Amino acid sequence: MLIGKKTVRAAIAVAAASTLAGGLLTGCSAPASAGTITYLTHQDAWTHADPQRNYTGRDIAWFGSYMNRTLTAYDRAKGAAGSAVVPDMATDTGRASNGNKTWEFTLRDGVTFEDGKAVTCEDIKYGVSRTFATDVITDGPTYAIGMLDIPSAADGSSAYKGPYSTDASNDVASFDKAITCSADHKTITFNLKRPVGDFNYTTTYLSFGPVEKAKDTGDQYDMHPQSTGPYKIKSYVAKSQMVLVRNTAWKADSDPLRAKRAFPDKIVVKFGLTEEVRDQMILNDTNKDAVSLDALLPTNLTAVFDDKGNPVAKYASRAINVYDPYVRYAAFNVAKLNCLPIRQAIYYAKDFTSLITLSGGQALNGDPADGVIKPLMGLDYKKVTGYEDWSVNGNFDKAKALMAQAKTECPALYARATDPKQGITYDIADTDTNKKASAIWIASEAKAGIVMKFNFIEAGKYYAVVLDPTKQGDMSAAGWAPDWANASTVIPELFTKEGGFPLSQNWDDPAYAEFKKGVDAALVEPDRKKQGQDWAALNQYAMDQMWVAPGVFSKTQEIWGSGIGGAFFWDPQGSLSFGDLYTK
Amino acid sequence: MFSKEAEQKMQGHSPRELAWRRFKSNKVAIPALVIALFVIVAVLLAPVIYSILGIDPDARDMTVMDDRGEIIGDFGGISWKHPFGVVPGIGYDLLARMLFGARVSFLIALASTVVTVLLGLLFGIVGGFFRGKVDGVIGRFTDFLLAFPQFFMILALSAPMVERIQKSGIAHDNEARILYLIIIFSIFGWPYLSRIIRSQVISIRERDFVLSARALGASNWRILFKEILPNVWTPIIIYVSLVLPGYLTAEAVFSYLGIGVQPPMPTLGVIIADSTHYMMNNATYFFIPSLTLILLVLTFNLLGDALRDALDPKSEA
Repeated sequence: MLIGKKTVRAAIAVAAASTLAGGLLTGCSAPASAGTITYLTHQDAWTHADPQRNYTGRDIAWFGSYMNRTLTAYDRAKGAAGSAVVPDMATDTGRASNGNKTWEFTLRDGVTFEDGKAVTCEDIKYGVSRTFATDVITDGPTYAIGMLDIPSAADGSSAYKGPYSTDASNDVASFDKAITCSADHKTITFNLKRPVGDFNYTTTYLSFGPVEKAKDTGDQYDMHPQSTGPYKIKSYVAKSQMVLVRNTAWKADSDPLRAKRAFPDKIVVKFGLTEEVRDQMILNDTNKDAVSLDALLPTNLTAVFDDKGNPVAKYASRAINVYDPYVRYAAFNVAKLNCLPIRQAIYYAKDFTSLITLSGGQALNGDPADGVIKPLMGLDYKKVTGYEDWSVNGNFDKAKALMAQAKTECPALYARATDPKQGITYDIADTDTNKKASAIWIASEAKAGIVMKFNFIEAGKYYAVVLDPTKQGDMSAAGWAPDWANASTVIPELFTKEGGFPLSQNWDDPAYAEFKKGVDAALVEPDRKKQGQDWAALNQYAMDQMWVAPGVFSKTQEIWGSGIGGAFFWDPQGSLSFGDLYTK
Repeated sequence: MFSKEAEQKMQGHSPRELAWRRFKSNKVAIPALVIALFVIVAVLLAPVIYSILGIDPDARDMTVMDDRGEIIGDFGGISWKHPFGVVPGIGYDLLARMLFGARVSFLIALASTVVTVLLGLLFGIVGGFFRGKVDGVIGRFTDFLLAFPQFFMILALSAPMVERIQKSGIAHDNEARILYLIIIFSIFGWPYLSRIIRSQVISIRERDFVLSARALGASNWRILFKEILPNVWTPIIIYVSLVLPGYLTAEAVFSYLGIGVQPPMPTLGVIIADSTHYMMNNATYFFIPSLTLILLVLTFNLLGDALRDALDPKSEA
């Protein structure tokens, strides 16, 4: 998913990590079912509390822990074990048939909404149908649209337009065929248009969760979603606070995942705190039972972590610094920058050391990336070759040589790239740090004779602007994390015309046809190991073509108050495992 | 033909000498003047200072920072090499950045002052001299401008005006923002001066020497520029010395709020805005530019006060 929309992805460490799933409470006093946990955030409200619109890893983890149950869920465990899929509302992790094109789940007994009504297959079907109403239910994951076996309309969108459409052409019949319910309302069957071997990872998304049709208020549902979990909303006021209390309708024996974990009696989220105030409250332990939902300000990181990236003694028990699932990079707009030597020259002339120092150093920010697949992806990662002479301080001789090559191979683009009046435009979000970074880029690219111009875009509108091909510049800063532990949520999303994040606009590149063939084959490859090798090879291919300039395999930090126990980093969601927190 | 009495006066002190005496007797005037001159010379000769001290506003010294961008050593990394220390994270020499930034700040303040004075003078003299309808129109227009909530106007107009300037092709990026600040400061600055000048002109135009010039058949033009203008220079000097520090502060405020000049180009406001992020772990970086701005504004204000006392002793101190 996009950066800034902190999303799920699954980071599976391959061989290593034989973490004990139950080891999370080691060394702490036994958690008691009492107390209030307070969350602090700079945001004025949740981006989305509506399950079908929630696409931010941290928020999915939060709502999934406390309120929204799904058919399957990630296990609550440290390390690689946390990325395993376990049953949640369903009795098992799904039964595939028809060559992975049909998936069946059966609901447990005793799963209810907060008003006591039992959750049925129809409620889940209704929830999924909301995803198709893309004009009302915005910003959510669209896997249901991409995977369910529903024909496309003439314009390429789905023929089914969701439950709110009153249009006669709305293809409700196809949707009813794509999701079917058994007579006892307990078993739900998904019919897919292509084989999806890991569809039960997709169903961990809250967007595959139930919504009670009678309680649905369209885009207003965002402010008062119904709970199926151990807590329900007592009050939710933007720019003020949200209060969760215990959901009396929730039955612990229907929910083995949360049963022994619903510790606090009350959960409070304080919105709209000034960033500096939020940080000082946590750093000074003003409220011992508080947890920061946001990252610390970069300038406060140095107070918490030493230069190796470890928390200093004072914060050792309540701060962590870990790899998050993101890869940050600069996407080349290949449609505009259709000259391989120039793209490579820009990469070789990059001053990685200065840029990473500016954002807090490698120990806190991450390591140089070699592609768009992170080593944490295990099966799908293989070190990219061919750029061994790239240097963190820039290899300017190589960059100059490539530019000399470009002068003969693509003279027109060479002339533009070296013309002080034109140059290469780089889209980047309008932040103070990025403004400083621009000075570093301009200076180092100039050493290879490349003129860099920066297009600063208002941070909140950044992706909306650069995803518009008419507005995108020659390169755009970006970040992406897999939605689950399969590069099928990376390579096709980034580098195919149909992908969700095609900033490279590489489909007119002569090298695209062969690449696309490889992607289509890898998507339906039944052998997961072979599929992993395919993704690694396609990652290598994309880097050979320099469709993106790799940036950083990034890291993130979490911090909480001294009164909080049970905290660990939940790899698949890239956040704390909120549901395991308790007050000491 | 001069009378004897008049000749005696000529041997006495000219108004200029009297003013200088009064100026010298003010305890803060001379230090303020020295500092102000020093700053102005430093800003004008910044490139010379760069080469003498071996600093460069665009050079980044990575050796003085650790991997996290934290400055190695106490007091923001102050050393012979970097007299004011180093900007954390990026490694710029702070003194060089501040000199460069002060040049931009002074450019904005001086240009705004010049335009303000020209406009204020023009409208003040014309209104005061012609009175009647002309004065009425100018008077109401100044009232109109003074009634505007300037601060919010500047905030609100920033984005569309800068975009318009860029589209017109006159200037781009920070040049456009600098131009915008100069325009907007001048537009909202001149009415104050214009009112002062107008009241001066109204009293001067009734004096005998103006009457005699008129009796000799002098044109309005001549009376305005040869008889009246030389007599209003005192309030202008005083106003300049007070408005200049005002514009310096205003530039800092608007750059701090992010609507003035944008980084990486430094101005005093941009540097201070950046330094606030490091207040907790690198206070030196915050205090040096902030104290410099305080010193600058204080100096120019004290200088302005001293000038006013010296040139216009009758006014209340």
